[in-house]
Amino acid sequence: MSYLPDYPIVTPRLRLRPFTRGDVDAVHEYRCREDVALYLFDPPLSREECALAIHQRVLQTEFHQEGDKIVLAVEEVERARLVGEMSLVWRSADARQGEIGWIFHPMHQGRGYATEAARALLALGFEGAGLHRIFARCDARNTSSWRLMERLGMRREAHFREHALFKGEWDEEFIYALLHREWRTE
Amino acid sequence: MSGLKFPISTKRLALRPFDRSDVALVSRYHLLPGVQRYLARPSRYNEDVNACVDIMRNQIGLQRPGDTLTLAMQRKSDNALLGHVSLHWSDATAGQGELRFVIDPAHSGNGFLTEALSAMLDLAFDHFRIHRVFVRCDGRNHHSAKLMQKLGMRLEAHYREHALFQGEWDEEMHFAILDREWQASNKVRPMLPRDRLHERVA
Repeated sequence: MSYLPDYPIVTPRLRLRPFTRGDVDAVHEYRCREDVALYLFDPPLSREECALAIHQRVLQTEFHQEGDKIVLAVEEVERARLVGEMSLVWRSADARQGEIGWIFHPMHQGRGYATEAARALLALGFEGAGLHRIFARCDARNTSSWRLMERLGMRREAHFREHALFKGEWDEEFIYALLHREWRTE
Repeated sequence: MSGLKFPISTKRLALRPFDRSDVALVSRYHLLPGVQRYLARPSRYNEDVNACVDIMRNQIGLQRPGDTLTLAMQRKSDNALLGHVSLHWSDATAGQGELRFVIDPAHSGNGFLTEALSAMLDLAFDHFRIHRVFVRCDGRNHHSAKLMQKLGMRLEAHYREHALFQGEWDEEMHFAILDREWQASNKVRPMLPRDRLHERVA
């Protein structure tokens, strides 16, 4: 069962749309930063690495099979500039599970853009793709990320301590989740 | 990761590898619905018990990650077979291990699992130098949840409807304990309330 959303997805202040090759510089501007890469699996990216990543993302806009990813650029409508990215991964077809994630330019944080974009992506996942449960993960030290998960109404389902190594250190991780019926009663 | 001597002796139990001749004894409890209810790979017929015992009797050590050590719980007083406990070495670089267990319902509620699992935790941390041991159980399995808390394990995860299990939505709990927590004490330690969890990190 495929799911092909209509783009762009428009919210009061934002536009979520597929990436294009012209986005390399805007993405490099935040993905090259140490503070952005701190809790990501990837280290800070060079411009070439960004170009490669965006080359892949241009096609990551639809669900056809389990494991597929939708990765969208988040654009501020007023100034038509890219402020971050959102992703939704189809983790299980059988159990209708999805994983949501985001990366924003620190310069644009604190305005509720991530919350606005995440709400739009939850709607896409639950209503569009028919998912039953959407979860998100983050490092336990990444306060702004798990606070956002709580604002979205997600429940903390897991707090793993030293269950794995992350960048050479013991990892501590939170998992938050939201069921379709919980989201509807928001 | 060898040099283990069997049986491992606790106050009332001898923990020892399975033997072919255990099939008849295992059959007496293994197929009971109460035992099968929460198993990841349930079995239904007597031939399945044969296959089970065949697998378990070869799980006698942890040589490489992915290996499992499975020991029968035998009561010293009358040699009755009460169930089994097993330790699975799931990750070598991060030193992770998983405990699993089954007990004949006729013998549950007498602290035998507490005794056997304590011995397995000693083994995991002292002998195998594992860093973190975890246990997964079904969200409805209150006996297991209570047992984990008695052992001093922390509830780390409570997943709801994250998967399908035997045709129904699954609910799963994860309990864990670190080597230093086990060394310090094996008493129950309450978790911080949810809204204060981040204080640990700061």
